Amino acid sequence: MRRSAKIALVLVLAVVVGAAVARAATKLPAPEKLVLKNGITVYYLKSADLPLVSFRMWIRGAGTANEPAALDGAASLTADLLMKGTAKMDADAVAEAVDFMGARLDITAGDEYASVSGESLAERFPRVMEIAADCLMNPAFKEDEFAKERKTRLDNIKAVKDNPGAAIRSYFVKAYYGGHPLGHLANGTETSLNKITLADIKSFYQKTYRPERGIAAVVGNMEKAALLDLLNATISQWKAAGAGSPIVALPALPKHAGRRLILVDKPDATQAYWILGASGYPLGDKITPRASVMNTLFGGRFTSWLSTELRIKRGLTYGAGSNFQTWKAGGIFMANSYTKNDKIGEMLDIVFELLSKARKEGFAAEEIESARNYMLGQFPPTLETNSSKATAYVRLAFHNLGFDYYDKYLAGIQAVTGQLAKDAAAVLLPESNFVLVVVGKAADIKKQLEKYGTWIEKKITDPDF
Amino acid sequence: MPRKLLSFMIAVLVCAAFLPAQFRKEDIKVHKLDNGLKSLFLEDHDIPNVALYTFFRVGSRNERPGLTGVSHFIEHMMFNGTKKFGPGEFDRRMEFAGGSNNAFTSDDMTGYTDWFPAAALESMIEMEADRIQGLIFDAEVLESERGVVASERRMSVENNNDAILAENVRATAIMAHPYHWDVIGWMSDILSWKRDEVMAYYKTYYAPNNAVLILVGDFDGAKALELIKKYYSGIPAGPPPPAVATVEPPQQGPKSVVVRKPAQTPSFNMVFHAPSVSSPDFYAVEILDFVLLSGESSRLYKRLVRDEQLAITVYGGVQDSIDPLLFAISAKPRPETDLDRLEAVILEEIEKVKKEGITEKEYQKAQNNVRSGFYFGLQSISGKANQIGQAEILYGSYEALFTEMDRYAAVKREEVQEAAKTYLTENNKTVGKLIPEGGQK
Repeated sequence: MRRSAKIALVLVLAVVVGAAVARAATKLPAPEKLVLKNGITVYYLKSADLPLVSFRMWIRGAGTANEPAALDGAASLTADLLMKGTAKMDADAVAEAVDFMGARLDITAGDEYASVSGESLAERFPRVMEIAADCLMNPAFKEDEFAKERKTRLDNIKAVKDNPGAAIRSYFVKAYYGGHPLGHLANGTETSLNKITLADIKSFYQKTYRPERGIAAVVGNMEKAALLDLLNATISQWKAAGAGSPIVALPALPKHAGRRLILVDKPDATQAYWILGASGYPLGDKITPRASVMNTLFGGRFTSWLSTELRIKRGLTYGAGSNFQTWKAGGIFMANSYTKNDKIGEMLDIVFELLSKARKEGFAAEEIESARNYMLGQFPPTLETNSSKATAYVRLAFHNLGFDYYDKYLAGIQAVTGQLAKDAAAVLLPESNFVLVVVGKAADIKKQLEKYGTWIEKKITDPDF
Repeated sequence: MPRKLLSFMIAVLVCAAFLPAQFRKEDIKVHKLDNGLKSLFLEDHDIPNVALYTFFRVGSRNERPGLTGVSHFIEHMMFNGTKKFGPGEFDRRMEFAGGSNNAFTSDDMTGYTDWFPAAALESMIEMEADRIQGLIFDAEVLESERGVVASERRMSVENNNDAILAENVRATAIMAHPYHWDVIGWMSDILSWKRDEVMAYYKTYYAPNNAVLILVGDFDGAKALELIKKYYSGIPAGPPPPAVATVEPPQQGPKSVVVRKPAQTPSFNMVFHAPSVSSPDFYAVEILDFVLLSGESSRLYKRLVRDEQLAITVYGGVQDSIDPLLFAISAKPRPETDLDRLEAVILEEIEKVKKEGITEKEYQKAQNNVRSGFYFGLQSISGKANQIGQAEILYGSYEALFTEMDRYAAVKREEVQEAAKTYLTENNKTVGKLIPEGGQK
């Protein structure tokens, strides 16, 4: 979207007032809010640059964290099965109709929501919405399609375990979250997939997929009147049967006292992969800008400390980084990298030294300035496309953050000082309480790992994670 | 940097805030310096950022045994110091100015992709120009970077069974042409490249006459051109790099390769020699790619994944390439899948296309996907810069972008069947199987 004159003025002022370095800035254009008769909220923005339209809808409480305990994969199976046949079209007909148009339509499970994403040429968009609505409203949930999807997931777990870089993510989720709802693996585990029945899927759908839980956005080359007609003919017709299950807020995230160390043996691995996790901060917490600047410097960009020390200076790895993830119920800090088997001990020592240095010494003034510039400069492309704007509307509405959230966030970034970033490091970077998972060839790496404590050992060929 | 660029920003905001951001050929401005550097400008003021993409006509097709992977290694070394900006300075200065970058190497090209706020334009142009010929290849830094690339190979190939098999299949199918090896190169070469050889390679291919620069985003064309002249015009042209002389001889019979290693699932790959982008057959083969492999409604996905459940997924197709490369069908078999059966079913589907051709609906579906794909690729300044650069290197000119849909539309439906008969033949085929040790036969 082109900027309005008003936004341009704000930008210039910000540059004049703020600063040492001229910064990029951008504003999320205010969308129009439409409320459908069945309760779905739709945020609409016209963007006529290209003949394309994007659609997003999140359905609260239909994600992996909302599925029944021990039924990992139920939410994701439900989302997939919605595209695998309706009362009118079988699975092949749905795939054929979407592919024929050169369109994209997908339903997936997030953690606290299910997500419907559609994108197509403007002239095809009405048909995309018809299909999306049909999938959401009239799923066939056929036994044979359920069996196929479940089998594919079971087989896929073995394929994932052949790739240590992919497998470690699932091992980490289980090690860190344990029985917490965020510990549910979207792709399931051998045990959970063998337990799930089609009745579980139907029940999950009936209780969680409900129009009043829908938050949607349409951004693209479409007039409002035409959109309203289309919405009225499609997702506005959605009525859920029976009573929904209450949306239960996530319990507080687990806190780990001491070290939880997991070693997964993959005897043919030529490289050892690790993920370290520790408590972070909750979504919307006032520490957010400080933590973001601090993480940018620690492991969030190419010249970050982790990348500089592990990759640039020592050539130990192709990639190293860290990030925070946040929910209302809490958050997590994660760092990860990999290196050849005989270097894993050396690499982890450096990581712990860097964590300690950041907590104790913080960052130089020039680094802080660089991180601020970087974050502001890299922000505009994140809201550039129809889909990224639509996702932003839905995400901000879902979390009740307000559409001026990014403006406040960027202003917050500008205000971060070295002391504030150091404070954030002292609070958030782990010293002795963390979870560390390593996947690699145990015979080659075990000795190097002994100094960190006692490891719980697993074999990559064992079922589950 | 800041104050000087402030007035520039205001100017842009005032004059250009309301220009349309459509994608039209006439909006792309072409400039050529005396040293042969071609630059393409597309102003687009939607966001206050710029995408600066520099593509060099060098990739693994220009390499030789002993120096495999060196094009990609130079891509890494491009961030590791020049006489003017020491090791790491490029990234430090760029990030300080609010920019980020990535780079890639393919069989045919090396691309450097910078994304930054409008105010950083001069600094980025200065640093990009500087590293065309200014790299110092500090010996210690070179050794460290060698370790990074070795780790990259361990990650992307050695610890990824599908990639191990794909590398084996490529090397079996392609016997003479440098496409024989993967872009990453062989591990023994990675561990033994000599500094002087690497430098000689860099000198041969990194010259303004072997590059194209693409600028898309929030900048003023006249000012950008002045900057390009200022920083690039002093860089001398190099002699034209040697042409790739080797032509892959026609394959005269089916080939196969088996890899055995510890694994919980097998891997499967089938490839055929395919036409290059300059062949008149290329678009018919691309349509064949849509019919067989694109989406869950494609023939192979439907048969292998859905109907017979022999595979978890299937993917592949033909790659845009300067010299003839491969049409690949990669399947992830299920743990218990009989790989001979998997192969037989794929061949049956190919036979069907050869005998009966494709349906009108399939033909139309491919055309629809070409059209939507074209617009999906233009949603960001980086997408536009990438499309323009790829067209320059592979098709000789950015103008090819604007006739892309016409070229697909010009293919007759029967020609797709003919392409299947010409390329997807028994004698042109190589099959690869990765068999879990202690598992299948």
